[in-house]
Amino acid sequence: MYRARRLAWAALALLALALTSGCAATVHPWDRDLLADPKMKFRPAPMISAVDDHIYFSKEGSMGGATAAGGGCGCN
Amino acid sequence: MQLNARASVRTALRAAACLVLATGLSTAARADEPAPPAPAPAAAPVPIPTTTPGWQLDATGLIYSEQSRTSVAEPIGRITRIFQNGQTLSAQLAVDAMTGATPTGARPSLSTQTVTSASGTSTHAVGEVPTHQYHDLRRAAELEYGFPIGTLFQGGANAHYSREQDYQSIGAGGSASIDVLHRLVTLTVGGGYNRDEVFPVGGTPIPLVDGSTPHESGRQAKDVGSWLVGLSRVVTRRWLAGGNLTLTRESGYLTEPYKVISLIDPATDLTQAQLNEGRPRARDRRAALASAVYHQDSNILYLEYRYYWDDWRVRSHTADSRYLIALPGGSHVTPHVRVYTQEAADFYAPKLDLGQPLPEFASSDYRLGPLNGVTFGASYGFRMPNSPGEWTVSAEYIRQWGRGPAFPTAGGEGGGGGGQPPDTRARPAAAQAITDPQPIDTIPPLNIGSVVIGYTLRF
Repeated sequence: MYRARRLAWAALALLALALTSGCAATVHPWDRDLLADPKMKFRPAPMISAVDDHIYFSKEGSMGGATAAGGGCGCN
Repeated sequence: MQLNARASVRTALRAAACLVLATGLSTAARADEPAPPAPAPAAAPVPIPTTTPGWQLDATGLIYSEQSRTSVAEPIGRITRIFQNGQTLSAQLAVDAMTGATPTGARPSLSTQTVTSASGTSTHAVGEVPTHQYHDLRRAAELEYGFPIGTLFQGGANAHYSREQDYQSIGAGGSASIDVLHRLVTLTVGGGYNRDEVFPVGGTPIPLVDGSTPHESGRQAKDVGSWLVGLSRVVTRRWLAGGNLTLTRESGYLTEPYKVISLIDPATDLTQAQLNEGRPRARDRRAALASAVYHQDSNILYLEYRYYWDDWRVRSHTADSRYLIALPGGSHVTPHVRVYTQEAADFYAPKLDLGQPLPEFASSDYRLGPLNGVTFGASYGFRMPNSPGEWTVSAEYIRQWGRGPAFPTAGGEGGGGGGQPPDTRARPAAAQAITDPQPIDTIPPLNIGSVVIGYTLRF
């Protein structure tokens, strides 16, 4: 499991590097027509995502990742 | 008049030349992507709040049902005021009506049992997970305030309160994000704090003693602090990628007050007692999330991967994918697949053996066990003809199953089937010898179905 954890950290570091570096092409403001689509979000339906998160949070041993909020129920 | 006409022609020609040059440069920089059909006005990767004042109403209804276990109905209403300066203020109310059965944590029955409780008499087949009936009503209220500072900063603050029969949560949080590198990158930080209280019906059970011993009275505190750092990046005009790290620190009463764990005599395989479960009083939970959204010409692909780990030694991998397919008329359908796998907490045990020293902590809650899960679903978004607002209908099927060892069926089973439900103490009234030679899953498969209906109206 430590190996998986190290791999996750390495993948995350690579991701951060890739995201912050200038290796990706510049996307000019006038090229952002598709990015301006309201559905072009990580979570385009936040209320439905919140309901889903609540289901998974109460039925699994994991939580977090998408938001800082957590808990709020004594889920059986 | 002539001068003015010439000036506007000149201006138009200049603008057209600029656009042609800009499009060409942009296309040259990304030879793998086709040129856009027409240059679009500037837009942010994450749109800033609109400056058109108005209201937005969001209503969501959830129907959730587990096979032979819990059912939930949850209506949620949210109203948002959008101010001219881009600020937003939202108020949300939710009611969660839960009813049905939940596992007690006792070992699955190795024989057919008749259990008598306040709800009546029920018969449990071989391998059936002992459950107790419950019903609860959760009411929750939330306020959220979003405010832009200039064009690059976005701040947010929220507060919530929720109350159940035996649980109360009050908390607040905040977040701040900034767009950098020509708005190609958005950095986000956030945090929150919950002050929760647990007040189990019938008192708080003493951990790892027989469930029939008297319970302690009083409320138990639980503090939850959470932090988030996130980064998202416009990679190409079609592709948005991001990563989040979250840390959630829980302390206080983290035990499930109605769960028990069976104490088994290994010589006879009989249940000797049902002990109250006990968990540590602190838990650090961490998650790393990587997300990507890719816009094809009209369809959109959403991908997420999360790695989760905590100091109870629970580890999990979650992969989630959705594919939005645009349909004629502005409607869309989105298939969804999610895969989940989890390693057990270090104190998870499906049972305890008589004669062995009792551990400091122990829980047989399957949610802390070696668990797999898969979700198949789809949502459909549409607008009603001659009616304002947008509708979303989402249906999902979830299947969970364990990877735990199977119980042997050798020997008889004289006890069990109990637990400490809040209002219905189940007592075995009769049991008969085992005849089925098949092993019994520690965590048998669980089928779950859910339907969510959402409606959004701006006015």
